[in-house]
Amino acid sequence: MSTLGISFARITRTAFVNFWRNIWLSVATMVIMIITLLMISFLYFANVFGSEVLQTIEQKVDLSVTFKEDVQDQYITTIADELKLRDDIADVRVISSDRALEIFRARHADDPLIEESLQELEDNPLPANLFIVATDPQHYANIAKHLEAEKYSPFIDQVDFENTETERVVEKLIAYTTSVKNGALVVTGLFSLLVVLIMFNTLRLAIYSFREEIDIMRLVGASRWFVQGPFIIEAILVALVAVVISSAISFATLRAISPTLSTYFFDVQQSPFSIYDYAVTNIESVIGLQVVLAVGLAGISSLVAVRRYLRN
Amino acid sequence: MISFTNVSKVYGPESAALDEVSLEIPTGDFVSIVGQSGAGKSTLLKLLSAEEAASTGEIIIDGWDITNIRRWQIPHLRRQIGVVFQDFKLLQKRTVLENVAFAMEVGGAPTKEIRDTVPHILKLVNLLDKAESYPTEMSGGEKQRVAIARALAYKPQILLADEPTGNLDALHSWDIVQLLIKINKLGTTVLLATHNDDIVNALKKRVVTISQGKVVSDQQDGTYKL
Ligand SMILES: Nc1ncnc2c1ncn2[C@@H]1O[C@H](COP(=O)(O)OP(=O)(O)O)[C@@H](O)[C@H]1O
Ligand SMILES: [Mg+2]
Repeated sequence: MSTLGISFARITRTAFVNFWRNIWLSVATMVIMIITLLMISFLYFANVFGSEVLQTIEQKVDLSVTFKEDVQDQYITTIADELKLRDDIADVRVISSDRALEIFRARHADDPLIEESLQELEDNPLPANLFIVATDPQHYANIAKHLEAEKYSPFIDQVDFENTETERVVEKLIAYTTSVKNGALVVTGLFSLLVVLIMFNTLRLAIYSFREEIDIMRLVGASRWFVQGPFIIEAILVALVAVVISSAISFATLRAISPTLSTYFFDVQQSPFSIYDYAVTNIESVIGLQVVLAVGLAGISSLVAVRRYLRN
Repeated sequence: MISFTNVSKVYGPESAALDEVSLEIPTGDFVSIVGQSGAGKSTLLKLLSAEEAASTGEIIIDGWDITNIRRWQIPHLRRQIGVVFQDFKLLQKRTVLENVAFAMEVGGAPTKEIRDTVPHILKLVNLLDKAESYPTEMSGGEKQRVAIARALAYKPQILLADEPTGNLDALHSWDIVQLLIKINKLGTTVLLATHNDDIVNALKKRVVTISQGKVVSDQQDGTYKL
């Protein structure tokens, strides 16, 4: 083994000795680190889930345009094609009055009364409709305004939001995800600070409990890396174990609650969004994010601690 | 060769712990540094191990100017200089063998070399049979021999002993001095700071006397006189 290899092995061994010597402090630090990582994971997943729910609901909102009774199909198609060219419109669906009647009939197939009354009418009483899906729910107001223009008035009878209830939900959800994102930043910041403070103090105590060894190390010419390395490696080990435990907890939890969440928030018949599947698919980034954060915090606190308490 | 040229050390704003000290110590010499408490003996040794930096002057060890040594170079210097103190500075929870091995581990010596070298050193200080004992189970004289063994782990060119007999009775003190003479005979330069006149007088070696930070006498075959 090279000298560097030997040193590294010895430094790592000392890091473990440090860990055991202050086992309760080490555990306390680790617990705080785990709580922080869990908070951050929770916020991360809440954000992903929120956006997913939002998207699903957004897709349900549309603008419905009811045409006047005698408007011919060709005008409707022209208007639809024109609208499709707009940047803020994702999709335009045309339901001709014939199609509307079909749907109406299908929906009331087991109601003989309605069938009878329909047959009594000579003309199709149902107007043609357009359903517009915007690229972003914010655009609906603008689109609706556009449709109120003079040139459309001979054809269009009415423009409605398909479901104003849904619209309000969307607004709430947007507000909710924004505050989750802001909250995530604040909480992450606060807990990170807490982790740094606690780690820093743990290391200070560890350095204190090792002062005899450290004194002698210096006396016999230990390199700076040999004196400081164990504390830095100890902090990083604590961080890595915390990541493992926090990931185990969050994955187990997601797995347990994911089916309930999916049935509650998404339509069952379509393939519903599963937050657990999302986590599994993105496992590298989920764990990578935690590793970067945990090791980063551990690195900062241990570097500051050794710089401060192990000068010379 | 160790040389001090007009070296001063001031800790506080007023008093100088060392005042314009000039001194040459050839390789392989055995020098006793004597003087009353507070004279500046420890300071002189600390300048050599770079525990303190000189305020003015120049300190050169074997052509290496350590006066303004960089922090990262200090470990290299300390591996060439063994140090022993009055209070031993042993790890209480480690055995004699582990205490000596620790010094070598810290310096990155291969495990095999440590395993081979430590028994030799323990034999030199006559503690091979106590290899597995803990410092708490030993007498002061034995503890000091462990400390010397540890200081020798690197085969240093220079051994600095700061009042190594300060906590020992006459018999054990003499024991330690004999050991220092033996180490010196094996080629190591020894600097012994002490205020024990019996020992100094019996040694019949070079004596440098310091008083209030100044070298007041420097004699071969010297005696302790204040
Ligand atoms: N770290 C220090 N800070 C301030 N003064 C010191 C320090 N170390 C030693 N001194 C002072 O320097 C003088 C010499 O001390 P020292 O070298 O320890 O003497 P000796 O070892 O001969 O007893 C004393 O007056 C002592 O009080
Ligand atoms: Mg002293």
